[in-house]
Amino acid sequence: MRLTVNGEQHELEAPFGRSLAEALRDDLGLTGTKVSCGEGHCGACTVLVDGAPHLSCITLVHTVDDRAVTTIEGLRDHPLVDAFVRCDALQCGFCTPGQIVSASALVEANPSPSSDEIRHAMAGNLCRCGTYPRIEEAIRTWRD
Amino acid sequence: MGALGNGTRGLAGGTDLVPLLRDGLVAADRLVDLRRVIPSGIDGTAIGAGTTLAELEADPQIPDALREACRLAASPQLRNMGTIGGNLLQATRCWYWRLNYPCRLHGGDVCHAREGQHREHAIFANDYCASAHPSDVAAALLALDATVETTRAAGPLAGLYRLPDDHDRNLVDLGADELITRIHYERPEQSVYLKAMDRKRWAFALVGVAAARYDDGVRLGLAGVAPIPWRLASLDDLEQATPLPGTAYKLELARALGRRAIAAVGG
Ligand SMILES: Cc1cc2nc3c(=O)[nH]c(=O)nc-3n(C[C@H](O)[C@H](O)[C@H](O)COP(=O)(O)OP(=O)(O)OC[C@H]3O[C@@H](n4cnc5c(N)ncnc54)[C@H](O)[C@@H]3O)c2cc1C
Ligand code: SF4
Ligand code: FES
Ligand code: FES
Repeated sequence: MRLTVNGEQHELEAPFGRSLAEALRDDLGLTGTKVSCGEGHCGACTVLVDGAPHLSCITLVHTVDDRAVTTIEGLRDHPLVDAFVRCDALQCGFCTPGQIVSASALVEANPSPSSDEIRHAMAGNLCRCGTYPRIEEAIRTWRD
Repeated sequence: MGALGNGTRGLAGGTDLVPLLRDGLVAADRLVDLRRVIPSGIDGTAIGAGTTLAELEADPQIPDALREACRLAASPQLRNMGTIGGNLLQATRCWYWRLNYPCRLHGGDVCHAREGQHREHAIFANDYCASAHPSDVAAALLALDATVETTRAAGPLAGLYRLPDDHDRNLVDLGADELITRIHYERPEQSVYLKAMDRKRWAFALVGVAAARYDDGVRLGLAGVAPIPWRLASLDDLEQATPLPGTAYKLELARALGRRAIAAVGG
């Protein structure tokens, strides 16, 4: 099957039931996408599918063969990455790729989100370390 | 629900089905991507079954009760993925069922929740299976007097659901190869959805109450109170509830949310 990730086309063999997260990490070596709960609860595995945040752990790879996938590796130069570092918006960092992917879709649609809009759009990205206030600050000040 | 026979199942957003397949609670050796065959998008008061909750949440034409039910459901990523058709057909969140206990809904002869942990469970129709239906969307659509169009027939949303019994443990009355194609609602004068959760965002409803006002009165639809989405003719019907020791609090919640919802729509 074909898979388009960060603008690049890949050919891969994927067995029935393979998740997008498995394909990204194990077949393509794009290990920036993390898997934590593996069942749709935490948001660690968030990637963009046609620009909208999706959970790659419960997305079957065969369902996205004709769509554009963006992972954290494709957002390397996004100003949000610096904003997260500047605001110290991480502790262990495990949730961070998913946070940045979700935040990138938010600021794309709404460059100056209010606190409430940030909380609504980021509600599906849990942070075990509880860095929420700093994540919010990083998103509020992403262009600074 | 989306079974299509011969080990084939229909997959829409996969947010419910993929975890169930992985946990061995549903078996399939072939999946059909329903989003390529069922309609999606909003056309007046008709909603394609493949429309995502995110699309509904964002469309100002959609009545407040349904928009709010979508907005408060699941998480942003899940709303980008999950469809309205799949939402109506989502499986119970009862942990005994999800952990594959041989309970009544799995074909066994006991309800583990009735005797065990049942804080999230039902206050109506709970003597056989005490599970509580998790769909916020279905509660809103009940209040909005929705009809469901399938590849075979069209009928009221309430008719999509059934209570389980010894002969049939299904909560849904849909043929193996029958697909939901569209949902139609009646435009209300005013509507609202109120949801009580354990935290402010990103949780299933303990109780959800939708109210919609029409010429002839206010219609109510509830989530989290019975094994299937539950319609109330009026708040007086709450007197007929049969709460379990652990769910008595839900009756109070339903009463309070019900009063607030009715007041909010000017009923
Ligand atoms: C962690 C989590 C939290 C959630 N929280 C909430 C919540 O708070 N409130 C709420 O209301 N919901 C909640 N949900 C449910 C979520 O909204 C549904 O899982 C989603 O809407 C299902 O849609 P889907 O397209 O992903 O369905 P799928 O998972 O693809 O399908 C679900 C079932 O429906 C069948 N099916 C799908 N479409 C059709 C069709 N058109 N015709 C016939 N059969 C069909 C499938 O075969 C399958 O059996 C939550 C889900 C998760 C995983
Ligand atoms: S409430 Fe229903 S699903 Fe849960 S244990 Fe009882 S019979 Fe099973
Ligand atoms: S790893 Fe996908 S949601 Fe938790
Ligand atoms: S920084 Fe550790 S989980 Fe978020």
